This record gives sequence, C-alpha cells and structure tokens, in this order.
Amino acid sequence: MSGTLNVKRFALSSLYLMLIFGIITILLGYMSGNYRGLYLSLTLGLIILITTIVYIPLIHKRRDDDVKSIAVPSLQALWIATSMALGYVVTAYAPYFNMPMAIATALFVIGFIVLIYGIYAMLKISKVSGVPLAV
Amino acid sequence: MSQGRDVYGDYATLPVPQTELRSSLNIFMVYMGVLAVVAAIFAGSGLAQMYDLKTTIVVSLIGNILLAIFGGLIAYIGGSTRANTYMLLRYPLGRIGAAIGSLIVSALPLIIWFAVETWLFAITVNVIYPGHPLTTIVASSIWGGILMMTTAYIGYKALAILSYITVPFWYTLIVIGFAASVDLNGGFDALWRVGPSAIAPIGIGITYVFGLYASGCVITSDVSRYGVKKWSGSVAWALHVAIFMTALLFAGAAMTLLTGAPNVIVAIAQIGLGVGALLLAILGQWTTNDNNLWSAALAWINITGKLSKRVWVLITGIIGTAISALWGGLWGMSLDPFITFGVLLGNFIPPVGAVLIADYYIVSRYLVKREYRFTPGSKISLLNIPGIISVFIGGFTGWAATTYGYHLPTGVGVADSIILSFLLYLLLATIMHKLNIKFEVGEKVISEIGI
Repeated sequence: MSGTLNVKRFALSSLYLMLIFGIITILLGYMSGNYRGLYLSLTLGLIILITTIVYIPLIHKRRDDDVKSIAVPSLQALWIATSMALGYVVTAYAPYFNMPMAIATALFVIGFIVLIYGIYAMLKISKVSGVPLAV
Repeated sequence: MSQGRDVYGDYATLPVPQTELRSSLNIFMVYMGVLAVVAAIFAGSGLAQMYDLKTTIVVSLIGNILLAIFGGLIAYIGGSTRANTYMLLRYPLGRIGAAIGSLIVSALPLIIWFAVETWLFAITVNVIYPGHPLTTIVASSIWGGILMMTTAYIGYKALAILSYITVPFWYTLIVIGFAASVDLNGGFDALWRVGPSAIAPIGIGITYVFGLYASGCVITSDVSRYGVKKWSGSVAWALHVAIFMTALLFAGAAMTLLTGAPNVIVAIAQIGLGVGALLLAILGQWTTNDNNLWSAALAWINITGKLSKRVWVLITGIIGTAISALWGGLWGMSLDPFITFGVLLGNFIPPVGAVLIADYYIVSRYLVKREYRFTPGSKISLLNIPGIISVFIGGFTGWAATTYGYHLPTGVGVADSIILSFLLYLLLATIMHKLNIKFEVGEKVISEIGI
C-alpha cells in the first residue's frame, strides 16, 4: 500500500465488497419466508447499500494522487457499514424475527465479516493516508 | 501572533488549529451520540399524555426547529471563532463572569447529570441482566462510570470514534425495537387510532419540547469549533435535532400510547435481543455521558486555569460515579436532591446562550464593532455588567415562571427567560454605550496558554 493509486483501489474494493454484502443481505431477507425477517434484512441491507451507492461515485471522482480526499469519504462510509455490522450480529438469532437457522447464520457471518474487515480496512486507510480514524 | 501552547489538552483554552478540524459528518456523529440516550425516548412519554400521534409529530417538529435555530446560532459562533463555550463567554460576561457562567452551564450541572445518567445506566443493566454480581447497581455504576471516563479522558478523538461506532447501530436498533414493539401490540393501524381523551393546546407541547434540550443548545460550541466549515456545527446540530430528536420523541410517545410505557430497551430485550438491549444501554449512555464529563472538564479548566483536562475528567468522573454507586446504589437513596439542584441551575443556562447570541451577532458587530479573539495577547474585560445582570434576571424570571406559574409572554419559563435575557442585554448595552458608560469593567490580557 505504498502507492497513492492503491489507496483508491483498496478503498473502492472495500466499498464494493460492502455493497455486495448489502445486496446479499436483502436477498436473504426475501428468502427468510416471513415479514419480520424481510424487514430486518431490508433495514440492515439498505443502509449499507445506500451508503456505498452514495460514497463510491464520490471516491471515483477524486484524483488518484489525492490520498487524503480519498481517505475521508472512504473512512466515513466504512464507519457506517462497520457500525451496522453490529446490528447483524445482535439481531440475527433473535427469536422474534423467526428466521430459518441457515439464513440467520448467514446474516451472522456476514455481520462478523463486515465488522472485522471494516475495522481492518479503516485502520489500513487511516495509516496509509495519515487521516485520523475519527475523520 | 503566537497561537499559544495547548497545555491543558483538547484546546480547552485556545482556538482549535486548522490541522485539527474534522468533517461535518464527524460533528454530526458526535451530536447524534449525545442524543443517543434512552432518556430522549422517555421524554416522548410526556407528549403522549397530551396529544395523539399526529399532533405529537407537529408539536415535536416545531419545538425541535426552534431548538435547531437556538443551538444552530450558538454552534456557528463556535465554528467561526474555533473557541469552546467557556472561552466564548469571556465576551458577553467578562473573564470573571465567564467563570460564573461556566459553573452554571457545565461545571456543576454536568457532574450532576453524569451521576444521574450513570445511575440510570446501572438500573437499566440491572433490569436486563438481574442477579449477576457485575450487574448490581453499585457494580454497574462503577464499571459504567469507568467506561464513560475512558473516552472523555482520551479526548475529542475518542468521543468521535465512539460516536461513529455507536450512532448507525444505535438508531437502527431503536427503529427495529420500536417497530417490533408496535408489531406485537396491534400494529401500525392501532398506533394511529390511540390518543388521550383530551388534547392539550399546541403551545404547551412546543415549549415542553423546547425546554427538553434548550440547555444542550448552549454548549454546542464545544463540538462545533472542530468543524471544517464555519457552518458545519450549525447544520449538524439543526439536522440532528430537527429530524432525529423528533423521531425519538415520536417513538417514545407511540410506545407509551400503545403499550403504556416508553421503555424501548426493555421492549428490545423482550423480543429476544438481550445482547442488543445491553449494547444499546451501554453505548447510548456512554456516548452521552462522556460528552458531559468532557464538557465539564473544559469548563473547570477555564474557571480555575489549573490542572489538565485529563485530571479534571478523573476528578469529576470519580465524583459522579461515587454519587451513583454509593448514594444511589449502596445506600439506596434518591438522587432527587441532585436532580432538583440541576434543574434549578438549568433555569440559568438558556439565558447564558441568549446573551451570547445577542453579544456576538448584534452588540459586538454593530454597537462596539469588535471581533472575538482568543489568541495570546488579546484583551478581554473582567466583567460585562449588562451580561451578568441579564443572565440572572432572565434566569430568576424563568425559575419564578416555572415554580410559581406566572403567566409571562410564552407561558413557559425557558422561552421567557431566553427572550427576556436577549432583549435586556441589548437594551442595557445600548443605553450604556450611548451614554458613554463603560459596560465592560477591567481588562485582562490572554496569556500564552490561553488563560
């Protein structure tokens, strides 16, 4: 991660990954077979989806060598996605949502991956760009 | 001119330098973190006693727009000058007056509210997970108090990081808990049909909402001074209070009307989200209470000019935690005496904000033609006589209106005290200025360390 181009590529890859997880979450909601699970997945997935859809074009527009201006929106978007991951982890197995075990486990795993990867990506972007985590 | 040395930490006595400025989203998240507390939802319960849900939305929105304007005007002063509340008060109140103002606004009440919220936190944890040694009120007060002290001790960066972690999760889970509670109690159709037998006048509700957070508006500059744009804090404050506080009040009112109680944390625990409820309680209270402690520490530094921010955080945090753990937990005594004192002080907080607005936007610009400066070598007065008089008369009027039910123009103490202090300060300052009477007494030169 020494080149400035890599920061942009890494940030965009991370956000595309989050975008994919957001889409999978919504699809899992439709597969849950009940409205409670559907609404839960829609809530969690749409927040990540909308965040990434808003932020990805912003980062695309930034000059490749302008590391700081790439890092600021990247960190902001990753914070939102990572915080939402906590929502996945604590809600997936709640009896109220009545989700099949396989889907609940998939949501839990997605939440866990987003949480760990989000923290990793933020630390890496912050370190390379010199932009503080509390951007 | 030197920018000064930050010997206290977090630029407690100096303007925030350009290199330390943060994004508008950062400021928004910190404000949202302060609002992310269950007490905000509980406040909606008061509206449910007076209104149906449609009226509740209207009343909350109008009250919160007024709060957005009041707090937004003060946040802009912080964003323009890069100074915190207690530094700003040196102009409308003078150096000695600012010390008195800081005691009233933050130094004393925020220790009380820190203790009260730590105690509420302990009770919530105890309700969710009873019977464990770590969840007794004493134990929860101690570890909760330590958690809250940690981020305040580290400083603004830690407050912001915690807010980033908490805010999206907290608000989403509140929405989920609220929706589940409605779903289990008859659904959204039932929600719009319920309401009290008689509807109160709208004005009462608007002033009730305004009174809930008017004191919070006065210390918005503690955070807004970090905003990358002058207006970052104002916009962040206005958006968070107008949209999200309205939503929390609505949720509290709706849950009260539907279930009889606004306790969304218990509702979340009841749907099988025990860990989620615990995280909501911990993170929500933490992001609010660490700000209380941090602002109190900044205020004490500006009053005394001694000890660092970290030492003040520890002193005030230990006092607050001890009140919660010993007074409220171990001895089982009511915290009402502290709350009563906090409410009494609260009468004088909005007038401080009113006088600050009047001084910055009108008196300083058009009457005495000066700018707020806080760099070493700048001169400030020791006492601003119209400022001090206006704050105390406004505060006493608000207190009397609330305590004895006097019918003043708006009918509610907070709004009356703000209007009175604002007009009185303008009147006194203008008359004294026109008569060539010096309304600012004494002179003090700001030192290298900002005191």
